[in-house]
Amino acid sequence: MDRRAVFFVIAAVVSLALVPAIPHEAGKPSITWVGWTMVVAFLLLAVLSWLDHRSRHSERP
Amino acid sequence: MTPLWLIVIVVAIALIFDFANGFHDAANSIATIVATRVLKPWQAVIWAAFWNFVSFLLLPLEVANAIAKIVSTDVISIGLVFAGLTGAVFWNVLTAWMGLPSSSSHALIGGMIGAGVAKAGGHVVGLKGLQKTAVFIIYSPLIGLLLAFSLIVLVSWLVHRIKAKRTVNRTFRGLQLVSAAAFSVGHGANDAQKTMGIIAALLIGAGRLSGDVLKDPETLPLWIVLSCHAAIALGTMFGGWKIVKTMGTKLTRLEPMGGVCAESAAAATLFFASHNGIPVSTTHTITGAIVGVGSANRMSAVRWNVARRVVWAWVLTIPGAAAVSVLTYWVVEVFN
Repeated sequence: MDRRAVFFVIAAVVSLALVPAIPHEAGKPSITWVGWTMVVAFLLLAVLSWLDHRSRHSERP
Repeated sequence: MTPLWLIVIVVAIALIFDFANGFHDAANSIATIVATRVLKPWQAVIWAAFWNFVSFLLLPLEVANAIAKIVSTDVISIGLVFAGLTGAVFWNVLTAWMGLPSSSSHALIGGMIGAGVAKAGGHVVGLKGLQKTAVFIIYSPLIGLLLAFSLIVLVSWLVHRIKAKRTVNRTFRGLQLVSAAAFSVGHGANDAQKTMGIIAALLIGAGRLSGDVLKDPETLPLWIVLSCHAAIALGTMFGGWKIVKTMGTKLTRLEPMGGVCAESAAAATLFFASHNGIPVSTTHTITGAIVGVGSANRMSAVRWNVARRVVWAWVLTIPGAAAVSVLTYWVVEVFN
């Protein structure tokens, strides 16, 4: 099991759970994009980490 | 009107808190450049303290504004600020004595909330600012981790074909000067502004400063800005000297490339937070960035017990410091 991929998935879930809690203050630009960017980035890293782990541990001919 | 001598005492306590913050966090700024022998310890502390001090020229004062609004200025009094600061200091000392993790920044926020609630109830707490702070207690280490991981992977990919490893190492040793300076700017801006916010709130509450400064934080009196930056810079210098004694034996071996990536990622996170008026823990942010660099190598390279302690600090600090401040405020009221 790729522990790093699992860690990134957990980080993505935590980031996603907090997106609705990011407040929007009047007169200031919204920073909700930060939460969404983190969700997407962590999921992407999880996939890349899993692919890296799989390629390292796949059987070689 | 509140007597001037009382205000001077509480402002002095706030500046001592700021000094202690710099003293405590000096290691974050200079650890990598000293460990990799880019600078001698005395040069490194002067370098970090200089960037701590000048950071007010580079980043807006939005964090000071956010901190000043944590508790409504209508109820701010000398006793409330004293209780908030004392609660934060007491919580920091208590957790250090018990070996529990803490964050001076979050302790200060918790302290002010506790004192505000003790004085006038929960409705005086600025919920939007608190909500943003609470979200970024968790987000800031994760952003640091994400940026540092991405940066180290990208940089490793860019340099892995270069045969002259000594040239690569020399380049990153030089770049560490820039990344350490950037981190010190972020640290100075975010942490010094927390004290600025407290002092501004105190002066507004005492009727010695117009509440209009909260509409435009750049109009904050220059003496507040300079004294807070001077206090944190001096703290960094003295904290750095303490590290000089232990540096040789206690630090683990650090690679210049990892140091540059971790510090740059943490600095970027702090710049973003300072620009958007979000008070974050600089220690948690650099810890997240170091975990990011470590996990790019292998998960077992990360000291997970340190990461676990940071999570405990997330959970404990604000409510803990708030509870201590409630008690402190009640004691202050007895003597009032």
